Amino acid sequence: MQNIFEKSQPGQKAYSLPRKEAVWNGFTPPQELVRHTSLPLPEISEIDLTRHFSLLARRNMGIDTHFYPLGSCTMKLNPRVNEWCASLPQFQRTHPLAPIDTVQGNLHVIYSLIEFLCDVTGMAAGSLAPNAGAQGELTGVKMISAYHAARNDSGRDEMLVPDNAHGTNPATAAMVGYKIISLPTASDGDIDLDLLKKAVGPKTAGLMLTNPNTLGLFSSKILQITKIVHDAGGLLYYDGANLNAIMEIVRPGSMGFDVLHLNLHKTFSTPHGGGGPGAGPVFCNQKLAPYLPYPQVLKTSQGYTVQWESEQSIGHIATFFGNFAIYLRAYLYALLHGRAGLRRIAENAVLNANYLKKKLGEIFTLPYPQHCMHEFVLQADRFLDKDVRALDIAKRLLDYGFHAPTIYFPLIVKECMLIEPTESESKATLDSFIEAMQAIAQESMANPELVRTAPHTQPVRRLDEVQAARIPKLQALIS
Amino acid sequence: MDFISNSSEQQEEMLKAIGVASIEELFSAIPEAIRLAKRSEEDGLSELEGMRLMESIASQNSYYQFDSYLGAGAYAHHVPALVAAICSKSEFLTSYTPYQPEASQGMLQVIFEFQTAICALTGMDVSNASLYDGASACAEAVLMSLRINKSRNKILVAKSVHPHYKEVIQQYAGNNIVEVPYTSDNSIDHDAFNQLLIADTALFLLQSPNVFGLVEEAKKLFSLAHEKGVITILCANPLSYGLFASAAEVGADIAVGDCQPFGLPLNFGGPYAGYLACKKEFMRQLPGRIVGETKDAEGKRGYVLTLQAREQHIRREKATSNVCTNQALAALASLVAILWYGKKGVAELALTNYQRAAYLRQQLSAIPGVKAQGNNGYFNEFVLAFDKPIEDTINYFKSKGILPGFPLKEWYPSHKNSLLVCVTELKTKAQLDHYVEVSKSYAKHF
Amino acid sequence: MKYTETHEWIEEQGSAATVGVSDYAQKELGDIVYIELPQKGIQVKAGDVVCVLESTKAAADVYSPVSGTISAVNEKLKEQPELINRSAESEGWIYKIQVSSPQELEKLLDKKEYYKK
Repeated sequence: MQNIFEKSQPGQKAYSLPRKEAVWNGFTPPQELVRHTSLPLPEISEIDLTRHFSLLARRNMGIDTHFYPLGSCTMKLNPRVNEWCASLPQFQRTHPLAPIDTVQGNLHVIYSLIEFLCDVTGMAAGSLAPNAGAQGELTGVKMISAYHAARNDSGRDEMLVPDNAHGTNPATAAMVGYKIISLPTASDGDIDLDLLKKAVGPKTAGLMLTNPNTLGLFSSKILQITKIVHDAGGLLYYDGANLNAIMEIVRPGSMGFDVLHLNLHKTFSTPHGGGGPGAGPVFCNQKLAPYLPYPQVLKTSQGYTVQWESEQSIGHIATFFGNFAIYLRAYLYALLHGRAGLRRIAENAVLNANYLKKKLGEIFTLPYPQHCMHEFVLQADRFLDKDVRALDIAKRLLDYGFHAPTIYFPLIVKECMLIEPTESESKATLDSFIEAMQAIAQESMANPELVRTAPHTQPVRRLDEVQAARIPKLQALIS
Repeated sequence: MDFISNSSEQQEEMLKAIGVASIEELFSAIPEAIRLAKRSEEDGLSELEGMRLMESIASQNSYYQFDSYLGAGAYAHHVPALVAAICSKSEFLTSYTPYQPEASQGMLQVIFEFQTAICALTGMDVSNASLYDGASACAEAVLMSLRINKSRNKILVAKSVHPHYKEVIQQYAGNNIVEVPYTSDNSIDHDAFNQLLIADTALFLLQSPNVFGLVEEAKKLFSLAHEKGVITILCANPLSYGLFASAAEVGADIAVGDCQPFGLPLNFGGPYAGYLACKKEFMRQLPGRIVGETKDAEGKRGYVLTLQAREQHIRREKATSNVCTNQALAALASLVAILWYGKKGVAELALTNYQRAAYLRQQLSAIPGVKAQGNNGYFNEFVLAFDKPIEDTINYFKSKGILPGFPLKEWYPSHKNSLLVCVTELKTKAQLDHYVEVSKSYAKHF
Repeated sequence: MKYTETHEWIEEQGSAATVGVSDYAQKELGDIVYIELPQKGIQVKAGDVVCVLESTKAAADVYSPVSGTISAVNEKLKEQPELINRSAESEGWIYKIQVSSPQELEKLLDKKEYYKK
C-alpha cells in the first residue's frame, strides 16, 4: 500500500479558508525570518484523504472488532457514551487559562473525580496532571524523594523494585536518581520476606510494588511487606496498573501504600487510541499530600478555585491541567458504574481470568497453579522440540481472529504469555478463544511449519525487524 | 449501568468449571482485615441519566459565551470535520500499541506518516512517534542533549520559553539550568547569551516564536552556539513553520514543540501531542517510540516499531527514558489536519494567522495610551499594555463580552499590566474591529 | 583466550589485548543491529561498561575484562554489526586495549571453565 506522500497530486487540495480581507494583504513578515526551503507536504483531495485513512483502519485490529487479551493492558470496552461526553463543545472549546469563573463545570469534574478516586483507592489527596502511567510513576517517586529531603533524611538513595515489575518502574526510579535494588521473585510468585528484610535499611527510600503483581497473583503477605518497609523508614509506591482486579474489594491505602498512580486508559476504559493518549493520575495519603504537583483545584463557598503554586509541591509535571478530555471520559464511566458497578467489574474480571486459566491450563504449562486475579501467566514451552514458541502461537492467533496476549513479559518466565480477558467479555467469547488455543496447540504438534510461519491472513506476513533496526528508514521523504 | 456481558447463569457455569462455590473464594488471598464488604446498593446511573448529568455540568461553563483572545501555549484553531471522523474509527480509537505489527499496520503507517509530516515541517531528518506534550518534548530533548554531549552539564534555556515548559524541564533535568534573559522588546538578550555561553554548556534551548509571540533571530544564536560545540534545540509552534524559517534552516540540531494547533481542540489543556525531531546523526538517542519501514517475508512493504532496545520495556533502569505511551490518537488527529491543509494550505493558514494578528496590532498601536509591542516579527500573539491596572482592563473587556488576553504578570511579574493577545484564523474582521472599538473607549474614558 | 562471567573474551598479544563477546552471548542476543563503539584513547577499569550492543529484543552492556587504555576499535562493526553474530570470537572483535595490570588476566576463566557454565 502506498503512503500518503506517494499519493500526492500537484494542484489537489482538501482545505478551505475564509476569503481574505484586502486590508490584510499589506502585512508581511521580515524577509530574513521567513521560510526559504520548500514545505514537502502532500497535495491531496478530501476524498483521497478519507479513503486513505479508511483503508488504513481496515488494516488494524481494535477492541471494537477483536478480543484483545493483552495482559497488563486491561483491554475492556471503550464505551461510546464516553466519546459523546468528551465531544460536548462546552467542554472541548474551553481554554486552560480561562478565568476560573468561566469554567466552573470543568473544575467540578476535576475536583469530583479526584474525590471519587481517593475513595476507591483509600487515599487522602490527588492530582490528575500526569499524562500517562509512566509520568504518574515519575510524580510519585519524586514525591517520595521530596518527603525524605524535607526531613533531611539524606542517604536514602535506594529504591527496591521486584524483578517482575513493569519496565517503567526501574526506568522511572533511575530517572529520579535512585539506585535500583532488584528483588528476586520467590518460586511461589510472591515476594520473599526474608530477602526483603535483608534488602531494607537506612538507605531505603522505598519499594515500588503492584498487588496483584504482574503475574496476576495477590500477595497475602502485603501487610507484612508494607510494615517491613515502613519500619525501615521507607515509603511504599503502588503501581495501579492492576486496579481492575480489586476495585471495591480492597484499597491500596488499606494495604499500607503511601502513594500510587492509576492508569485511566486501563481501569477506567478511556480509549487506548493505538498507544495514547492516556492519563496517570496520582493519589497519596496526608503525609505526602503537600508534595503533589500543581495546579490543585480547591472547593470554597464561592465555588471552585485553582492554586497554581504551593511551597512544598514538586512543581509542574505537565502543561496546564493535564489530559482533561481523558478525565471527562473516566468521570462519566465512574458515575455510570457507581461503587456497586466497580465491584462487579473486579468480580467479573477475576472470574473471567480464572475460567480461562482453568481451561487453558489443560493445554499449556501453568507456572503458578493457585487462583489468579484479573490476569494469569501461561508458559508456551511444550512445543519447543517442534521449534514452536510463544511468539509463533501469538502470531497464529491473529489468523484465528484474536489479538495475541502479551508475550515475553514478565521477563522472569520463559516463553511467557500473560492473559487478561477483562470483565467485558462474555463466556462465549472466552470459549471461542479456548477453542482457538486448542486448535493451535494441535497444529503445533501436527503441522508446526504452519504455526512457525504465521500469520497467513493479515495484511502482511512476518516483518524483518532486524533490517528495520540495522538500516532504519523512519520517514517517507528520505530514500 | 455497567458493560459486563455475563449473566448470572453464565457466571455460575464458569464457577463450576473452575471448581469454586462463589466469586468470594477467588479473593481468598486478600487478608480479611482489609477486605471491603459490599458498600452500596445500586448507585450507578443509566446512560440517559449520565448524559443528562454531564450536560448540566457542561452548562456550568460560561467560557464559550465570550469572544476570547487567549493563547499562551494553547491555541483555538479550526479543527477540520474529517479529524473527528477518522479518529473515531473503531480500529484507531480502540486499538493498542502496535506490539503485534502484522495486526497493526494501519496505526503503524499512520505514525510513519506523522513522523514524515514532522520532518517536512521542521526540516529535520528523523522524528519520533510523539510525546505527551510540548513540555515533555523539551525535557526529553534536554536529556537527549546531555547524553550526546556527555562531558558537559550546563543547560542554557531562554527565559522567554513557556513557564510550564521550563518547569517540566526542571522536573526531568534537575536544577542545573541557566536562563538567558530577554530585553525590553521581549527578544532574547544577545549580549547576555554570549556571556552565558561558557565552556561547560551542553545545550541551548530557544523557543521561537517565544512566549510573547516574537520570532527570534535563531540562526545567529545557533551559529554562535555551534562554534562552542553546544547542541541547539528549537521549540516552535509547528504552524509557524508554514511561514517562518524551518528548524533546519536556522541550524537546530533538535526540534521540539506541541502539535496542538493542528487538529487538537483546546480541551481545557489536553490531550495534546509533543513532537521531537533531530538530525540523523542523533537518531539513536531519540527517546520514545519510533516506527520504521521494512519488508515482510514475501517482500511486501510493512511497518514496525523499531530501535526499541533503548526503551523501558527492554533496558529498564538503563533506558533512554521511562516513557511508555506516545500520543498516538492525538498524533493521528494532527496528521489528518496537516494533510487536510497540505502543502499550500499550511502556508496559507500560517500567513492568514500572521496577517490577522498584525492587523489587530497595527490598529491598536494607533490608539493613544495603548502600547502594542513589537516589530513585524510576530506570530499569532503580541503583548498589549494599557496604562491602567490589569484587573480593571480585563473586567472592562469582560463586560463587553471579550476575554482580551492572558495577564502576563502571572508568569512575568515585570509585565505588570500587560496582556498576551492571541489572534488566529477564527477571528473575523468584524470581531477584530470590535476589539479595537472597545479598546478605544476604554483608553479614552477610564 | 580467556573469558569473563559476563560473557566477554580477551586474547593477549604482548602488552595489548583484543576484546569481544562470546559466541554464547551473540546467540542469546539475537541479530545485532547496532553497536556504539567506545572512543579510542579512553582509559577504562576492569568491570567498566565500555559499550552497548543492541539487538531487536535486547541491549547488552559490554564490560571491560581488564583495565587499560583503548588503542583501537573495529570500525567494520559500524556498517556490519552482524559480524558479531557471524564470527563473535574472531572477526567480530570489538576493541583492542593496552593492558595496564596484566595480573587481572589471571582471575579470568579459560575456555573450558567458561563454556561449562
